[in-house]
Parts: sequence; C-alpha cells; structure tokens
Amino acid sequence: MSLVLKNVSKNFGTKKAVNNISLTLDKPGVYGLLGTNGAGKTTTIRMLLGIIKKDEGEITWKGKEVDRKYVNFGYLPEERGVYPKTIIMNQLLYFAELKGMKKDQAEKSIEYWAKILKVEEYLNMTAEKLSKGNQQKIQFMTAIIHNPELVVLDEPFSGLDPINTELIKNVIIDLVKRGKYVIMSAHQMSTIEEFCSNILIMNKGKAVLQGNLKEIKDTYKANRLEIDVNKDITKIIEDLGLEIEIEKNNQYKIKIDNEEVAHKLLDKVIKEKIQVNKFEIQKPTLNDIFIEKVGA
Amino acid sequence: MRDIITVAKFTMKEMMRRKSFIITTIILVILIIIGFNGPKIIKFFSGDSGEMMQGEKIIISDSENVYEGKLNELDQQKLEYKIEITPSTFDEIKTRINNKEVKAGIIIERKENDVLFRYIVNDTMSTMPENLNEALQKLYTNTQIEKLGLTQQKIKEVMPEFEMNTEQIEEVKGNSFVIMLISLLLFYAIYFCAYQVSSSITTEKTSKIMETLVTSTSPKTIVIGKTLGIGVGGLIQMLILVLTAVVSAKLFLDPMLLEIVLSSTQITPLVGLLMFVFFILGYFLFATLYAVTGSTVSKPEDIQSANTPVMLLTIVGFYIGQSVISTPTGDMATFGTYFPLSSPFLMPFRVMMGVASVQEVILSLAILVVSIAVVAHIAIKIYSNAILNYGTKLSIQDLIKMYKAK
Repeated sequence: MSLVLKNVSKNFGTKKAVNNISLTLDKPGVYGLLGTNGAGKTTTIRMLLGIIKKDEGEITWKGKEVDRKYVNFGYLPEERGVYPKTIIMNQLLYFAELKGMKKDQAEKSIEYWAKILKVEEYLNMTAEKLSKGNQQKIQFMTAIIHNPELVVLDEPFSGLDPINTELIKNVIIDLVKRGKYVIMSAHQMSTIEEFCSNILIMNKGKAVLQGNLKEIKDTYKANRLEIDVNKDITKIIEDLGLEIEIEKNNQYKIKIDNEEVAHKLLDKVIKEKIQVNKFEIQKPTLNDIFIEKVGA
Repeated sequence: MRDIITVAKFTMKEMMRRKSFIITTIILVILIIIGFNGPKIIKFFSGDSGEMMQGEKIIISDSENVYEGKLNELDQQKLEYKIEITPSTFDEIKTRINNKEVKAGIIIERKENDVLFRYIVNDTMSTMPENLNEALQKLYTNTQIEKLGLTQQKIKEVMPEFEMNTEQIEEVKGNSFVIMLISLLLFYAIYFCAYQVSSSITTEKTSKIMETLVTSTSPKTIVIGKTLGIGVGGLIQMLILVLTAVVSAKLFLDPMLLEIVLSSTQITPLVGLLMFVFFILGYFLFATLYAVTGSTVSKPEDIQSANTPVMLLTIVGFYIGQSVISTPTGDMATFGTYFPLSSPFLMPFRVMMGVASVQEVILSLAILVVSIAVVAHIAIKIYSNAILNYGTKLSIQDLIKMYKAK
C-alpha cells in the first residue's frame, strides 16, 4: 500500500472541515475525489500534501508518516497561478530546483514536457503574455517536471478548451502507465467516470460514499430507459404510468423503477409495429449517485 | 539550506529585473551625480545673473568721498571676490557690466545723514553680498569713530567680534548634520528593502502561486529565502549608490571640501562595519514584521493599510534614533540603545560620536538578534497559516489564532 489516510480530521475553529476520512491508494491509477464546494476536498488534499497539519488520524506514504521534508509529490492546485512577470523557463527551473532537481536535469525535463504540452514557443516569454489555458499547462508542468510518484490534480480540466483537455488527459493516462499514483478532484462527473476506478464522495467534511466505482454502480438498480423510435409513443409510455424526463424527435429518456417495466414498454412498441432504433436500460450515472448522496 | 539559497537567488533576480528597481536605481544615480555637481550646475544656470561668485570683480565708486579715501582698507577683509575702487558714473558701470569687465558695481552716496549703497547689476533678483555690506558698514563706523580720537585698539575693545560656540557636556565627535543625513539614508534603505518583502509575498498571494510554492518548500524557507534575497538586492542597490557617491565626490567635488566632509564624519572602519551590521539586523527585524503583514492580505490594494502599523513602528524607531543623535546621552539614549526598533538607527552614530561603550554595543546587538529570532519565529508561524487565506484582510484576533494554531 502506498498512500493511506486513516481517520483523518481537521477543524477550523468550531467547524469540522474534514471529519474522519479514510482512503487507500494501493496501486497506480487515478483516484477520484468528489464533493460540492466546501465539502472538504481541498483541505484533505492540503493535509495529504503536508501543507496544513491534520488534527487527528494518520497519513502515510509507503508506510511512513507524510512529512513535507521527505515526500516529493506533484500538485496542481485549484487556484491557478504563475508569476506573471517572470520568464516561464525561469519559474519552471525555480520550482524544479526547489523539488531537488539539478539545473541540467530540470532543463531536459522542461523541454520534454513543453514539447508534449505544446508550449515550447512560450518558454522564453513572461507568463502574463500567455492565454489562461497555456498558463494552466505551465502550472501543470510544475506539478510533473520532477517525476513525482504521486500527483494531486485539483480540477485539472477547468477552463481548458477541448484540444488542451485532450492533451492533459493523454498526459494523465501516460502518468498512470508509468506507474504513478494520481488523485484527481473534479466537478465534471464524466471526467471522473472516464479516469477513476476508485472514488470518494465527500459532503460537509464526511465521506458519504467511497470504493470501486464499478462496484458502487452495481449496487444500484436500473433507473432510466433510453429509447429511440420512428413514431410518437408518448401515449404508450403514459399508459404504463411512466414519467418522461426528456423527449426530442421521438428519442425518449424515461424514468423507471425496474427493468420489467422497460421490457413491457418494448413489447408494446413492437406490437404496434413501431421501428426501434435504440433501446437501452441504464443504471444511475455517477452524476445521479453524486446528487443522491450530497443532495441536489 | 539549498532551498533557502534557491529562494533567495530567485527573489533577488526577480527584484533586480523589475523595471521599478532599475528605474529607481538609475534616477538615484543621476540625482547623486547632479548633487555632487551642484555648485557647477548652479553656476552654469545662474550664468549672467548678478549673484557674485568667487573670483569675480566688483567695482566700487565713492565719488562723494563718503569713506574719506579709506575704501582701500577693504583689502584686509579677505573677501572672495576682486574689488576695484574707481570713481564711476552709473552709465560707466553699466557699460563695464555689459562688456563683462565687472560683475556688479556699487555707487556710494550721501543721503541726508545716511549713506546709500546703489548696487548695480544686470538682473533684479540679485542682492548685494552680505559680507561686503557688513564690511562697508564696519569700515564706515570705524572711520567715523577714529575721527573721534579712538585708536584701532580702543575700537576693537568697544566693538569686539562676537563668536558663538555650542558645546555639549560630553565631548562628541562627528558632524551632526552628516550623521543625521547618513541615519536618514539608513532608515530609507531599511524601510524600502523591508517593505519589498511584504509586497513580494502579497504578489505571490495575488497571483495564486503560493499554493504551488508551499508544496515545493517550507514556509520557513520561503520567509528566510525571500528576506535574504531582497536584502542582498537592496545591498547591491546601496552599493551602486555609495560607489556612485564616492566616484562623484572624487571626480566633481573640490578636494578641500571633500577632505573637510570626510574628516568631520569620523567614519572609521569600525563605524563602517557597525553600520553594515546594524543595517543587516535592522533590515531583518523589519523585514520579518513586513512578512507578517504581506501574508495577511490577498489584494494589492489592501497592502498599504496592512503595512501601516509596521510603518508606524519603523517611524517611531527612526525618530527615537534622531532625538538620541541630537542628545546622545541621557535616559532616551539608554532606551534607544536597547530598544530593538530604534537601535539600528542610532547605535552606529553613537559609536561614531564616541559616546557608546563596548558593553552598550554588545548588549544592543544581543537584544536585536534575540528580537529578530522571536519576531521571525512568530512571523513564520503566522505566515504558514495566513498565506493560504484568500478571503478578506485578517484581523489581529485572526493572527493570534493563527499563531496559536498547530
């Protein structure tokens, strides 16, 4: 086991910002940290990075208590920031040197990642001349140039265009292939579903759901039917007492309680000799689970 | 230690790369050069004005013989300009001024029982030189008293030269004006360098780089590294200015005047070393205080008000120093010597004036070092907790809570 948080708590005055959180990262991969604003994600991240001290519990990396002096994690904070009037190369070298790299080593690493992230041409410019997205890529570089074993990414895709989002996604996939541990916090549930095998959903400082994402989803019954037909079937749906969520050009998203009622609907549609282009019984999405757990 | 040097190097380079630093340094260098060329520049711009300068000629006409032929005695007065005594009319003097033969002229006339000096120049701004006016009046009085039968000896007894000299109870060396000037420079150097620490921290908070920085190294390293980096940057700036002053003094200042200034300042190598040590320690004390204020705000517009309490402390320290320089012994001097906020502004000068004992210097330095350690400990503790606060400006109560926090 590499990273273990055991019964970790943190109070700010009388407010319990993080309440008895436990999580384990035992093999390389992406771990999703979810929660509404103020749920305690950033405090948890700051504690595991050693920026702030925990009040209770235990945080260990490879069996040893996490201490900022001895761990060398990579971190992309939610608050985006670069030195606006400093040459990009100089600030990247500065952070690389602070993370223990020698200058020549750091220069090679910067050149490598700049090429991957397509920011080579900006290395000799000041940060204030770069677009927000490019500044974000520079900050992403500061999190990974020193080849850390654990990378914490707080909202890595917010504010990025689709092309840059894809670039960062590919880098994250590459990091996992290289055996890195990644903790990712994001508001876009689709992103979490795409990357994370394990998740932790937090609400008001507490863990409200955690574990393997597939196993979590398997515990939920089907709750939605998506059907695409060539005729209006609104009356058939209503006769079965079902509620239409969305209808557009004879494509329906219908709320269901169980799979049987979905099959009944399909039987009726076929009997009416209506052409069926798509019929899919769906389990709750991570978004549904999240809303259910933390409240809409 | 490696990280402290990395932070210090980066901070110093960033400080010295900034346009404001470069422009300020250039302006100060130019001002110093201009300052040392003051007399030459004044002469250049005053050009043809009627103000008498050293070595220039003035013509005195006493056609009515008011001085009864005794004007030649003016030669004994050691005036810095040449005097020509020739009976001349206004038009003759005007012609000679226009021909640049003389700078000015004086026509002496009787006006009932009084004497009128008509000072003739080519502009309205000039007035008759004070020492020439006094010399003429004294010569006239002496001439008239002599007529009453009194000898020169008797006249000197009746009207001796009155000389005023202020002497302090204890013998004090050094020129107090020069000391105050150096003390003022020391104050500005400490104040501006320390202030930079605060603005540097706020800039990092404003640009949201702080969170990345604190995961790269410890808050203690950041505070010490920044303070060192800005201190070295400030010292380099001061060195440039001092070198400019030294070179300018050698190149442009009258060697005699330079000799007088240097001998009156009493800057021995020991005093120079103490100035350096107290500058460094004073800077560290105020820089750590400014590190706290810089970490309490998130917006550049709040920095001024956050820095006000520390600025007031700096000014209090400086004014205690100034009052002690004018009265270097007594209760205030004792207090100022040991009070860490004021000792950097006065101790080197008390040593320069020869009124501080070795024990006083050692104890003053020890108190200053301990104060820096205490303030730095508090500053690092508060800084560690305050830097990630992006809300409103923190209150004193918040800071106390942050200091007590784990």
